[in-house]
Amino acid sequence: MMLQVLLAISAVLFCFGLLAALTRSNAIMVLIGIEMMLGAGNLNFIAFWKFSAHPEALTGVLFAIFSIALAAAEAAVGLAIIIQVHRRLRSVDVNAAHQLKG
Amino acid sequence: MHDLIQKLTALPWDQAPQWLFLLPALLMLLAAAAAVMLRNLIHCALCLTLSFIALGVLFIALGAEFVGFVQLLVYVGAVTMLILFAILLTPASEVAASNNPFRAFQLSKAINAALGGGVALLVLAGLLAAIFFSPHAREAVPPAVAATAPAKAIGENLLNHTLLPLQGTAILLTAALIGAALLAKEERPS
Repeated sequence: MMLQVLLAISAVLFCFGLLAALTRSNAIMVLIGIEMMLGAGNLNFIAFWKFSAHPEALTGVLFAIFSIALAAAEAAVGLAIIIQVHRRLRSVDVNAAHQLKG
Repeated sequence: MHDLIQKLTALPWDQAPQWLFLLPALLMLLAAAAAVMLRNLIHCALCLTLSFIALGVLFIALGAEFVGFVQLLVYVGAVTMLILFAILLTPASEVAASNNPFRAFQLSKAINAALGGGVALLVLAGLLAAIFFSPHAREAVPPAVAATAPAKAIGENLLNHTLLPLQGTAILLTAALIGAALLAKEERPS
């Protein structure tokens, strides 16, 4: 039951992140939503590691560490792109960046 | 300070009730909800910081101390600071948004929020159904042993079994940070 409660908590966090990424038009809020979804994924890794048959293998822990490192790289590049977009368009609204629309 | 740490570690933590981990989880969800709902971007980023702190505490409570402290260092120390700096460097202006030729085709804010909320609720319902009502949900879960992830074992695993991914991650992080610096650099007309 503990495992399911943890997974449910992580699902709720994921959906908050999804809500932020879908409804907010500010690019920084979209990035915040993506970070929340990645945090929910990390919580799943730790929960499944805690209730696995062989926790001493540390698989979930290693996955979580790599995923945190990748999330940090993603945040750095994403924010650099947002700053460059703001420099060109004077706005961080995702609806303003429409030059590539067909 | 030293006495306080000694008193804290002497408390009977292994007899603490199992639902105690719900406290940081609840704080994390409340802060995440506030981060999604609030209008002011700075408030959103600060609520996100609180949510990440609670997530790190939850990791520590679940026995993954190393991941918890990495979470605190990387997310709370670096990522949210980056987000705050990005918010400060990109002041809002209404110039560009108003001359958008696709404006007429854009959905109104209310419809947009309703659609996004509907999709998020649908995903949540699907996930919860899979967690609680799937056939696998009734299978016996191995009981949570006092699983610990000592830093020594993590380091040995990283360097023995996942050396190649570790080096790949190092190269990726270096490339990503150099790329981010290049991207954000001001272009000077030559």
